[in-house]
Amino acid sequence: MGSRVRPEVGVESTVTVPSRWTVVILVFGAFLSATVLIWLASTNESLNRPGLQAGLACWITVPYIVAGLIAWRRRPESRLGALMVTAGFATFINFLIWSDNDLLFTLGVAGQFLPPVLFLHVFLSFPSGRLESRPDRVVVAAAYVAAGLTVLALALGEEAPRNVLAVVDASRLAEAIQGLQLLMVSVLSLTGVALLIRRRLRSGRPMRASLGLLVDSFSLILVMIALLLLAGLLGWTTVQGPIRLATFAAVGVAPIVFLIGLLQAQLGRGSVAKLMVDLGVNPGPVELQDAVARALRDPSVRLAYWLPEFGSYADVDGREISLELEQGRSATPIMRDGLPVATLLHNSALSAEPLLLSSVVAAAGMAIHNARLQVELRARLEELRGSRARILHAEQRERRRLERDLHDGAQHRLVGVSLELGELRDRVSEDPELAARVDEARQEVAASLAELRDLAHGIHPATVSDHGLGVALESLTTRATVPVHLHAELHDRLPEPVELAAFYLVSEALANITKHARASSGTVELTREEERLVVEVMDDGVGGATTERGTGLRGLADRIEALGGRLQVWSPPGKGTRLRAEIPCA
Amino acid sequence: MRVMIAEDSVLLREGLERLLTEAGIEVTGTSDTADKLLTLVANDEPDAAIVDIRLPPTHTDEGMKAALAIRADHHDVGVVVLSQYVEVGLAMQLLGDSAAGAGYLLKDRISNVSDFIDAVRRVADGGSAIDPTIVSALISKQTNRDPLARLTPREGEVLALMAEGRSNQGIAERLVITLRAVEKYVSSIFSKLDLATTGSDSKRVLAVLLYLRG
Repeated sequence: MGSRVRPEVGVESTVTVPSRWTVVILVFGAFLSATVLIWLASTNESLNRPGLQAGLACWITVPYIVAGLIAWRRRPESRLGALMVTAGFATFINFLIWSDNDLLFTLGVAGQFLPPVLFLHVFLSFPSGRLESRPDRVVVAAAYVAAGLTVLALALGEEAPRNVLAVVDASRLAEAIQGLQLLMVSVLSLTGVALLIRRRLRSGRPMRASLGLLVDSFSLILVMIALLLLAGLLGWTTVQGPIRLATFAAVGVAPIVFLIGLLQAQLGRGSVAKLMVDLGVNPGPVELQDAVARALRDPSVRLAYWLPEFGSYADVDGREISLELEQGRSATPIMRDGLPVATLLHNSALSAEPLLLSSVVAAAGMAIHNARLQVELRARLEELRGSRARILHAEQRERRRLERDLHDGAQHRLVGVSLELGELRDRVSEDPELAARVDEARQEVAASLAELRDLAHGIHPATVSDHGLGVALESLTTRATVPVHLHAELHDRLPEPVELAAFYLVSEALANITKHARASSGTVELTREEERLVVEVMDDGVGGATTERGTGLRGLADRIEALGGRLQVWSPPGKGTRLRAEIPCA
Repeated sequence: MRVMIAEDSVLLREGLERLLTEAGIEVTGTSDTADKLLTLVANDEPDAAIVDIRLPPTHTDEGMKAALAIRADHHDVGVVVLSQYVEVGLAMQLLGDSAAGAGYLLKDRISNVSDFIDAVRRVADGGSAIDPTIVSALISKQTNRDPLARLTPREGEVLALMAEGRSNQGIAERLVITLRAVEKYVSSIFSKLDLATTGSDSKRVLAVLLYLRG
């Protein structure tokens, strides 16, 4: 084995895995929080239906901490886990207002706006845990400022006398500030909804159902939060209770949906193992691309191979492709020894899973390297085919020009001469000797014209170009020495090179029938099959025709292959000959 | 008799004009393009139009298209197409479902002045003129086919002249035999080939050509 292929993935990742102790402490914290919440609810006498209240409190606290921890362990490259843990504990602190201890109560009041703001932060930063766009950052920062205003409200005597932070008693001003906060956070939540919707529309076709589900549930929760806050602001006391219940219920769902998404990412890891199995059979470029697409669960995945000799990227068929990205598409370069090998084009949503991307790329590294060699070969073949076709076209153009020159020049002049002679002949009819000599000259000119016609036709079958394959084939089969049945289903003109190739094939086949086959009849069939012209020529002669080098059929095969088609010959001795050509005519 | 010409070679156009005029045929218009010919014909219908199959701008099928257009739109105007190649397919395309007022001749034929003038007159009168090369190609392909093989050599000659579009009188003059004899050969040919005897010469042309094409 040669040097080990170590593809490098151009994805940054700052990884901080929480230590075992951190996890133990946080799990303990979650457990303790739940216990405290239940205890607070049960000892608070002013609380209506304490069992339900405690349940709801735990429902929106514990799942965030647990889901956050799992996310943090499994996806350390995302900050989302830590953020969710924080949101869970902030919600817990909020419920300290149930305490009869004034200090704890004040702490609970101080954090009253933190949970909605943290939810907003979590939702907008999904899935990387970072706020990627400027509007996201502005909205979240403004929400934190709004939440921070609580400290001011407390200093101004909000919730006095239990508030231990009260400096002055200006409760009217404090109430106004709280109203402002309610308005700000609800408006910012609705702005967050707008940002989520915009992101969803921009991401193009959703790659994963769970991802769309998540974004939808985030939007719903933010709307509910905004509604709840507005209800508080406008004093809708009757509806506040049900809205609160519904909001809490929805808020608690988010971590569960999030966990489902995470679990799917875990399945993605499992698909890397499947990819390794797929790659064991040494796949071609197409199979490799399919396998990688399966492993990444993104059917839109395309591998663009870098071909240094061509200075361009090529797809699995060796055709040049551009790396210009549409909205919602991303490119991940695949490097080897510091040089580009290929670029993975995929749905932008995959960028959120750099570990999956890098493990898939690492697993497929050797196969990608091998596939590139195949793609390079295909690109060369494609180039060769292109140059063959260009040479063929140039030759045809030149032949056509020659034929046209012969027709416009010599042929016209000879017809003119023959016309003159004809008129002359009418004037000398009284002199038999002279008339005979003019007749002789006319016959010479006629013979020259006939020779010239055959020559010009041999250079380029003008009828094919001028009037189409159908007309030309009718004349061709009429001139054949044995009865030839022609079935041509040609309704439209085909590209000239295709018509010419088909004409030359039939022409050569009919000549062979005359010269070698000793056939009694033949059949010519032309059919359009989707984007191909299929030409079949059959005879009942002695067989034995080949496309070996040096035969007329070899040249025809070359011509047809240059157009991307193929020629097949069946000619068993004594059983006739069948030629079948398929010529693409897209 | 009034005739129009579409031919882009000055040499041939002038030669044709001179030849027709000397034969007593009035040339009422000449043009070097298909479009111009169509305008001329539309403005003042001649008895026949002589069209070079290759005309500008592309020198491919402009002449053929103009000929088909005249046959479709001006039923009283005969059309003689001059082609540099013998193409059975083109001849059949020009005739379509009627040989009346249609001619398809090799360009070289104009040098045989009397034959050419005769062909133009036939077409102008609603008859046909099919190049002998086309007819002989069709016949030679079919010579081994049974009913055709049973024709006598003289009957074969009459069949060919019939397919060219000649009338019984024309065939009699060509073969230097009596009209009565020609009529006898024709009815014998039709019964051997199992063809229904038809009225006009041009209907006879199409029937024979279609028979020969197989």
